Amino acid sequence: MSLIPGLGLAKGMALTLRRFFEPKVTIMYPEVRIDVPPKFRGRLQLLYDEWGTIKCETCFQCAQACPIECIDMGGIDTRGRYHVHWGAAETYGERREESALRRSGRPVPDPAFRPFQAVDLGELDRILEEHDHDPADMLQILDETQAAYGYLPVAALKQISHVTGTWYAMIYGTASYYAHLRFEPAASTEQARAVDDHRPPEATYLAALDAALGGNDRPGTPARA
Amino acid sequence: MTRILKTPAGWPTILLPRAGAADPTDLDAAVAAGAFDGLRRAIRDLGGYALVAAVGASRLRGRGGAGFPAVEKWRTARSVDAPRRYLVANGYGADPASETDRTLLLRNPFAVIEGAAIAAYAIDAAEAFIAVRAEDAKVIARVAAAIGSATDAGFLGHDVLGSGHDIVMAVRPVQGAYMLGEETVLLKALQGKRGQPEQRPPHPAERGLDGMPTVVHNVQTLAALPWIIREGSEAFAAIGAKDSPGTILVNVRTPAGEGVAEVPIGTKLRDIVKLGGRLPTGREIKAVLIGGPSGGLLPADLLDTPYDFDALRAAGAHVGSGSIVVVDDRADLVELIGVLTRFCSTEACGKSIPCRIGTRRLAEIVGRREAGLARPTDGRDATDLAADMVASALCDHERLATLPLTSGMRYFGSEFDDARRPAPVRTEATHG
Repeated sequence: MSLIPGLGLAKGMALTLRRFFEPKVTIMYPEVRIDVPPKFRGRLQLLYDEWGTIKCETCFQCAQACPIECIDMGGIDTRGRYHVHWGAAETYGERREESALRRSGRPVPDPAFRPFQAVDLGELDRILEEHDHDPADMLQILDETQAAYGYLPVAALKQISHVTGTWYAMIYGTASYYAHLRFEPAASTEQARAVDDHRPPEATYLAALDAALGGNDRPGTPARA
Repeated sequence: MTRILKTPAGWPTILLPRAGAADPTDLDAAVAAGAFDGLRRAIRDLGGYALVAAVGASRLRGRGGAGFPAVEKWRTARSVDAPRRYLVANGYGADPASETDRTLLLRNPFAVIEGAAIAAYAIDAAEAFIAVRAEDAKVIARVAAAIGSATDAGFLGHDVLGSGHDIVMAVRPVQGAYMLGEETVLLKALQGKRGQPEQRPPHPAERGLDGMPTVVHNVQTLAALPWIIREGSEAFAAIGAKDSPGTILVNVRTPAGEGVAEVPIGTKLRDIVKLGGRLPTGREIKAVLIGGPSGGLLPADLLDTPYDFDALRAAGAHVGSGSIVVVDDRADLVELIGVLTRFCSTEACGKSIPCRIGTRRLAEIVGRREAGLARPTDGRDATDLAADMVASALCDHERLATLPLTSGMRYFGSEFDDARRPAPVRTEATHG
């Protein structure tokens, strides 16, 4: 409790006034982009206009842009609301039926079109069999899949999701967390090994320690063999 | 292989065998030297309650960095009613600049295995895992071979030493993130999940792997257990500092050389730093970085600080990974602090917002100092932000990620003077 009554109010109004005359900072989004943290995953929020109507026009651009297909839209429901679903697209299979897509105005996929490169899943099935299709062994499954294919193909991740019953988004989230797992083939085996053996942050840190210790002209052992 | 630094003859050796000992992979030689004697006594002479009491009397504290009393985890795990329990040995060694855990696993694998078996017996766990770095094929091969030969000899597996207890042990290679050194993150990785820490309580000793009580110990903690059982709790409690007895492995790096050494806890930093060799002539110690990437920088006049959990925390550093880096007066500390802070920021898992955003803001503040673009409010902002991060921390990474910058500002304030930095290069701000 302040000694002078109303001081808090005056302080608050002073801040309001000060902010009122400050230059506004609107970041002109696609031209200027804020540098977000590498693990930033964002939060979905539907905005309302000043009349309380939802602004979303169900254009599906967000669903199409989402790399892990965690956004899905159902158009207008029986109460006239728009839906944004969380979770695996597979769960909302009925929304993907041709008639549902037509009704909501989405493009109907061409069955002949393959969104990702097909790979031979024989090796993956053997790995999954070995781990008894158990999602608790997900890291080992992903490690072995990468060892077999050289990277984690989308087709393989889809198959793992299908067989273990784990959401594709969860598998993607796990795989994208661990720095040694990659989603594209490495340019060469040497490059792959270099990245696996010395992750870039670790290499930078070790190099900084060496620099602080006066360079490489000192005796001692190099980093791990 | 990592060099073992020569320590004074009077210092006890509990974790690493004496120089010139037999082949570390030879079980018969190890048994002849007393290996698995502790496990036999724990099972035949002591039993569960007496074993917990004996380790409690030794006042053994966890070597993973936080210094939590080891026996408290056992008591918690034993008090929870559960169909099964797990023991996890953390040999991940998250700090790439510290080889302590790796050296222990390579030079004395049977001590870790025996310690893990004793701890598993104490909490009645039938399964134990030893987590190691997946990129370290040598350690995986050696520990797996050691587990194999110990199982063949009846020290592990079904009905251990006729006690009726099963202790099945396995190596679990994990890799890909610095955070895996944290116990709840490691448990997530062992369950095949994204490596992010969990809110505590419940502690893993109440609810860990598969929701079952799980005790996670650093491999050094486990390797001390056989010695405690063999030589007695009083003998162990008499070594090292009063509040944290025993020895610990340190990885000393100086401009003169580097290596791993076993030191009694409570040894003065000055004596540990000496193990690394003499500095080049005309150079003097400027700072000592203690605890790895999230460690604290201590100045040369604090070298009389004892190396133990509480004294280091009070001074603004921590035991952490056991890494001790001595830098001389040539080093640019602001640059070093910048690298450390950025490392902690990059490796933050992203779960807790004060950590994800806070470490990034700290890195920006150091980055501005490095570029000579510091703002007058930066010092106060960094202090405030660091205090908020520590207060709202979800795991120790968040608490400790502030240490390089806060200890640097506390002891090396003059390094941060703008006058010492290069002239600012003004660039057009892109936004904001």
